Amino acid sequence: MVPCIQAKDITLTFKPKNRDPVAALKSLTLDVSQGEFVSIVGPSGCGKSTFLNILLGLLKPDTGEMRLNGKQITGPGQERAMVFQEFGLLPWRTVLANIELGLELKGIQPSVRRERAMELIKMAGLIGFENHYPHELSGGMKQRVGLARALATDPEVLLMDEPFAALDAQTRDLMQAELLQIWDRAKKTVIFVTHSIEEAAYLSDRVVVISARPGRTKDIIKIHLPRPRDYEMRLSPEFNEIKAGIWSTLKEELITKRAGDGV
Amino acid sequence: MGFKEKYYEYQRPILGMVSVVGLVILWELVFTYLIPLNPFFFTKPSLIAVAFREQIFGGSLWSDLVISSKAFIWGFSLAIIVGIPIGAVMGWRRRVEYTLDPFLTALYASPLVALAPLLIVVLGVGLVPKVFLVFLLAVFPFIFNTAAGVRATDRLLINVVRSFGGREKDLYLKVIFPSTLPYIVAGARIAIGRGIVGILVGEFYAASEGIGFAISRFGDTYMLPEMFSAILVLMIVAVALTEGLRKLEVVLAPWRVGQEAR
Amino acid sequence: MNTLVSVYREREQTILGGGFILLLILAWEFIPSLVSLPRGLSLFFTTPLTVVQTFYQLVVENKIQSHFYISAIEFAVGLAMAIAVGLPLGLVMGRSRTVDGMLDPFVTAFNATPRLIFLPLFILWLGIGIWSKIVIVFIGALFPLLINTYEGVKNVDRVLVNVVRSFGANEWQVMKVVVLPNSVPYIIVGLRLAIGRALLGVVVGEFFGASKGLGFMIASAATNYKADVVFVGVAIFMGLALLLTLPVKKIESKLTRWRPEAAKTF
Repeated sequence: MVPCIQAKDITLTFKPKNRDPVAALKSLTLDVSQGEFVSIVGPSGCGKSTFLNILLGLLKPDTGEMRLNGKQITGPGQERAMVFQEFGLLPWRTVLANIELGLELKGIQPSVRRERAMELIKMAGLIGFENHYPHELSGGMKQRVGLARALATDPEVLLMDEPFAALDAQTRDLMQAELLQIWDRAKKTVIFVTHSIEEAAYLSDRVVVISARPGRTKDIIKIHLPRPRDYEMRLSPEFNEIKAGIWSTLKEELITKRAGDGV
Repeated sequence: MGFKEKYYEYQRPILGMVSVVGLVILWELVFTYLIPLNPFFFTKPSLIAVAFREQIFGGSLWSDLVISSKAFIWGFSLAIIVGIPIGAVMGWRRRVEYTLDPFLTALYASPLVALAPLLIVVLGVGLVPKVFLVFLLAVFPFIFNTAAGVRATDRLLINVVRSFGGREKDLYLKVIFPSTLPYIVAGARIAIGRGIVGILVGEFYAASEGIGFAISRFGDTYMLPEMFSAILVLMIVAVALTEGLRKLEVVLAPWRVGQEAR
Repeated sequence: MNTLVSVYREREQTILGGGFILLLILAWEFIPSLVSLPRGLSLFFTTPLTVVQTFYQLVVENKIQSHFYISAIEFAVGLAMAIAVGLPLGLVMGRSRTVDGMLDPFVTAFNATPRLIFLPLFILWLGIGIWSKIVIVFIGALFPLLINTYEGVKNVDRVLVNVVRSFGANEWQVMKVVVLPNSVPYIIVGLRLAIGRALLGVVVGEFFGASKGLGFMIASAATNYKADVVFVGVAIFMGLALLLTLPVKKIESKLTRWRPEAAKTF
């Protein structure tokens, strides 16, 4: 069966004006199967977000291929939706209108949009906040809206760029648990970028470690913990072993990065 | 204590009203009982009130206001129609900004009113020079503020809309326009003041009607209560427009709290 | 060829901006000689070179200096008064809720109204000498300074004030150590705006009821159809505006790097 996502030899170099070019990704190769939950970790600046943006279709790689279900990705599409770290909610729209954004852009009728959005409001635990504005919400709630918005168009692939990084620890734990529930029900393919090894290990089927800049796939660690996962698993010795494994790979890259920065 | 809490909540408006009312009363009392009033030099609230009523209902103050408003509205509308698109292009395309900005900044910094006498000599007396003057003065805040608003558009939101399949027109309608609107309203607020200056310069200098003319005429003929009431009328209009726009800004952009000094 | 391209890239901003202005000036200079103007307009028209020549002439014949001095005095005195009143008042209003509340309606009302409206009144009171102009300059420049100082004081970080207070500082020390430094960027912006307003005040004040000064020179030249003199006056004001505000802008950009909200005013 064709893997849902196939990234082959992805290379991208940023060429900003009046500055030296920055090689973000170099020959990155990765396959992701349908319905998998894959986390991507790596040192800062290794190109994780760039990779997501290529998947999303907002960036084009210099060389290499990115395929979704066998077809090359040429731009944004309804089968992929992203949840952003800084939420990216339109401040002048209500929660409801924000969730409807993707549907609206597809030309879906207002009444149909409304219905679907209300479903998601219920699912995301936002009942009562439909007519609130983003600036009236807490970080956790804003990200729920972001998640609801991404799920509204029923994409196949959910791309998440450090979605919980801006939240406090408690909210973060809560959102992680909710995300797993939603994922379990909706059976989407999720690519989750994070800095937190704990988060990556807890949520994913596989954890991909990206090397320091320019990024390539350094290692892929399979998480053998059973599903559904619960909080107690994070306290078990197996979990710690897994974390240690990821950490040892990551550590090398962090040291490489530090050396590279220090030049 | 209910009273104390109420006081803190409404402290500002209460103090404001107290000081305004207090000033008016003090002014009236001082010039009625303390200092003799030289009618060629000063006036007091009671006389102003009488003159106000007379002029609005009997005199020409109302029609003067209408005349000045006509010129103002024409000039202001032109400023909007010309200023916003130019500002939008400037904000959207860096190169256009680089080209136009120094020129426009130089114009904005120079007292364009200095050209008023020339304009009046060329365009004559009447509606046209006033409209032109208002336009010349009011267009710049629209240009600069629209450009600033477009430039300040959150790139993240552009990416968000694009990621959900938005095309160019969606970007304009759903992100750039709503995001820029509060800036435009702020520009309108500034432009009002500048536009009124245009009316006044036009009418002080060479006019036979309009509220600016009325003020200078009253001054020339030492009709002080009438002069004060004309000034008062214009002040009320200016404050109403400016504060109205300020409220609009807040309504349009509740997420931008505490910005823009007056 | 490559060096030309790289030079362009570095200085693109100045090249485009300066080039555009240059283009306009050249067009202004040469188009009238190529296109014949309608009879009426040519009477009031002039070209950059003529303006420069007239300027030179006026300077040489010592016709412009006295006007310049008068305007300069009106500007300087008015601005100085505005600073002397605006800064302390802004500080007090910012720190004291009572004073703020009491003065707020007046500040709002007078700020929204163009100060020009009081010119006939001031001429009535102070005659057509320099004092009526000084007062116009004063109230024109007062409000940006007052309001910006006020905003700078009000927007001081509560946390910082509490930190200093926790070290036992009294009101005066709080002012000195936290409030004033915090307000400086705002005050500088206010100063820049005030300079522009002050220049405007000089020009407009001298249009009506004056017998000396650059504004008067412009107005009387206009009535005598001497367009070149008018533009000399306008150019001088433009030059002064740029000359005075550019250094302030430089200081401002240095200071608002850590206080970007301060520069939001126009």
